[in-house]
Amino acid sequence: MSANFWTSSHYKHLLDQEDVDMVNPLDKERGVTLEDFKLIKMHMTNYILRLAQQVKVRQRVVATAVTYMRRVYTRKSMAEYDPRLVAPTCLYLASKAEESTVQARLLVFYIKKLYADDKYRYEIKDILEMEMKILEALDYYLVVFHPYRSLSQFLQDASLNDLSMTQLTWGVINDTYKMDLILVHPPHLIALACIYIASVFREKDTTAWFEELRVDMNVVKNISMEILDFYESNRMFTEDRINTALQKLTLRP
Amino acid sequence: MSIAAPGQLNVNESPSWGSRSVDCFEKLEQIGEGTYGQVYMAKEIKTGEIVALKKIRMDNEREGFPITAIREIKILKKLHHENVIKLKEIVTSPGPEKDEQGRPDGNKYKGGIYMVFEYMDHDLTGLADRPGMRFTVPQIKCYMRQLLTGLHYCHVNQVLHRDIKGSNLLIDNEGNLKLADFGLARSFSNDHNANLTNRVITLWYRPPELLLGTTKYGPAVDMWSVGCIFAELLHGKPIFPGKDEPEQLNKIFELCGAPDEVNWPGVSKTPWYNQFKPTRPMKRRLREVFRHFDRHALELLERMLTLDPAQRITAKDALDAEYFWTDPLPCDPKSLPKYESSHEFQTKKKRQQQRQNEEMAKRQKMQHPQQHTRLPPIQQPGQHAQMRSGPNQNLHGSQPQVAAGPSHHYGKPRGPSGGPGRYPPSGNPGGGYNHPNRGGQGGGGYGSGPYPPQGRGAPYGSSGMPGGGPRGGGGSGYGVGAPTYPQQGGPYGGSGTGRGSNMMGGNRNQQYGWQQ
Repeated sequence: MSANFWTSSHYKHLLDQEDVDMVNPLDKERGVTLEDFKLIKMHMTNYILRLAQQVKVRQRVVATAVTYMRRVYTRKSMAEYDPRLVAPTCLYLASKAEESTVQARLLVFYIKKLYADDKYRYEIKDILEMEMKILEALDYYLVVFHPYRSLSQFLQDASLNDLSMTQLTWGVINDTYKMDLILVHPPHLIALACIYIASVFREKDTTAWFEELRVDMNVVKNISMEILDFYESNRMFTEDRINTALQKLTLRP
Repeated sequence: MSIAAPGQLNVNESPSWGSRSVDCFEKLEQIGEGTYGQVYMAKEIKTGEIVALKKIRMDNEREGFPITAIREIKILKKLHHENVIKLKEIVTSPGPEKDEQGRPDGNKYKGGIYMVFEYMDHDLTGLADRPGMRFTVPQIKCYMRQLLTGLHYCHVNQVLHRDIKGSNLLIDNEGNLKLADFGLARSFSNDHNANLTNRVITLWYRPPELLLGTTKYGPAVDMWSVGCIFAELLHGKPIFPGKDEPEQLNKIFELCGAPDEVNWPGVSKTPWYNQFKPTRPMKRRLREVFRHFDRHALELLERMLTLDPAQRITAKDALDAEYFWTDPLPCDPKSLPKYESSHEFQTKKKRQQQRQNEEMAKRQKMQHPQQHTRLPPIQQPGQHAQMRSGPNQNLHGSQPQVAAGPSHHYGKPRGPSGGPGRYPPSGNPGGGYNHPNRGGQGGGGYGSGPYPPQGRGAPYGSSGMPGGGPRGGGGSGYGVGAPTYPQQGGPYGGSGTGRGSNMMGGNRNQQYGWQQ
């Protein structure tokens, strides 16, 4: 939304990986490991996505909501800020910030539809109250830049803007929100990494094009490796492991 | 980012927005009231700094934090410019529920959320509406340039303000003008492809394309509003005071001519064109009506009040207009006089204590079209001595133009300053422009008005204004002696009141007089 990413709060607030990977002391006391932490955030990303599909909002809203959720947990503990409430509330807030407002009662309705489990059950007033806490946790910084914006320009520039490449790259970008990349890397580099992966997958030769870009290819390749690693480990994320991790949050230390 | 251990404060970081309570501030006085809630002047207890607290009303919100506030915060968080109001922080107020239950959180936010802004003494409408107020040409240029500079910054950052009007242009006693109230603002993409609502911008300042139902628009909408304000400053009163949309369009057509495919290609495709198109041919009369304006002013106004948004001047080009680069040049903000603070709300409050004629004056500031009653246009205001006509001055009759500023006496953030005695002693102390029939006095051209800023040497002369600074350095050379105006020693000079001088052209020797 801002004209310039480089002057934005998003850019100024990019974090180091180790800061993102720091499990809040309160959660640590409850036995939450870094692995659990990532797992819960991934699960909540999926939750936001499923909810968003029900209420029909754009991918951009989802991306912003996930970013909010991940930012919140760089500052707040999951023990105090229940992810099962934070996730829908982030979607609620992002829908306002991205001008696609979703009514709170609609969210509550679909939450009930999606999850029978009582632990997910929250009412409108819970969401409204959590919204304020999230605003505070975000320090009211609500503008988020996403890789989608640079994607189409890049693909066009590289003459890769056919449907199959566009769809594949778009999908890979969607998947990056299951990780913390958006908190650590500038969005255009994430977009390039996704193009890189997609072009290798589709056997397109993009070497020359990448060489002409004035970007640090090492960073792009590192991001690509992270994404590939994630795809690799993703298979082992089972429902059981997620539930176990979430269970830990309710334990008294 | 490090996380403070529980119970530990990270003292090196400024507090996260929303984490502090409004109790950190002492409310001094209510200075505004709007649909969104109240605005207070307040003092930060720790630092003594004066701020404005704008309450975000939450009690009637079924949808949590209001989206209008979200828009405003989102936009203000990314705009950092000297001509854009600065949002300093957001504070919360613990509601009564908290006290009863003693919980730290719970209903913490029921009490309210406040946006903390830097404090500004006036808004342009309030200032212009002060009885006896008249702006000088360099002053108008100075305000207009700041308005355009701020707006250009917004547009470069892809923000449309969408509610440019006098009461949203705040002015401090350093002469700085800042755009405020971004509650209707939103970001836009350059392709203008998004459908935006056309129900924005206060009616009198709303451009024809919105009145014709366009939903794809861009920065040109703000430029129309700027044109309206510009004309209002020169003309002395709002130029398009329509009662409703049809009348608004009609007033625009009467002055700017009827739109057609020649002067506005595509206008016949606008949603409500057929409904609102004029029934009779209407010629553009802008130049004729405002023929007494300075040539460069008129030229610029012509380009701002261009019907076709695609041909309307941009903020950037407007800043390059001859108007800002010919004598008299815009003055340095710091050289402007300091006025007793004028906020719409405060003036309203004063009404009860004031004579009925003044009461009428205040009411005008409520900016409600229907209630707005002003004098007919100044016939020949003289382009250097524009002012708002004092409202209903015929009621004042021969009352001397006692400034009717509010009389609160809270300490101003800024220290005492010898009132800038920039108005020549010969200035008409109350006759002339407060008379309904000012035309006879305004006299037309330079030098014949009661307060010719140039030509008498006194007012701006001291700051070397007519020297014509080089482009790009406009206003340079003024800053030096402000705010004491060494050579002046005019009527206000050295008056040393804590509130600065006031009452341009009012009862010059009675800084306090208006209260009696």
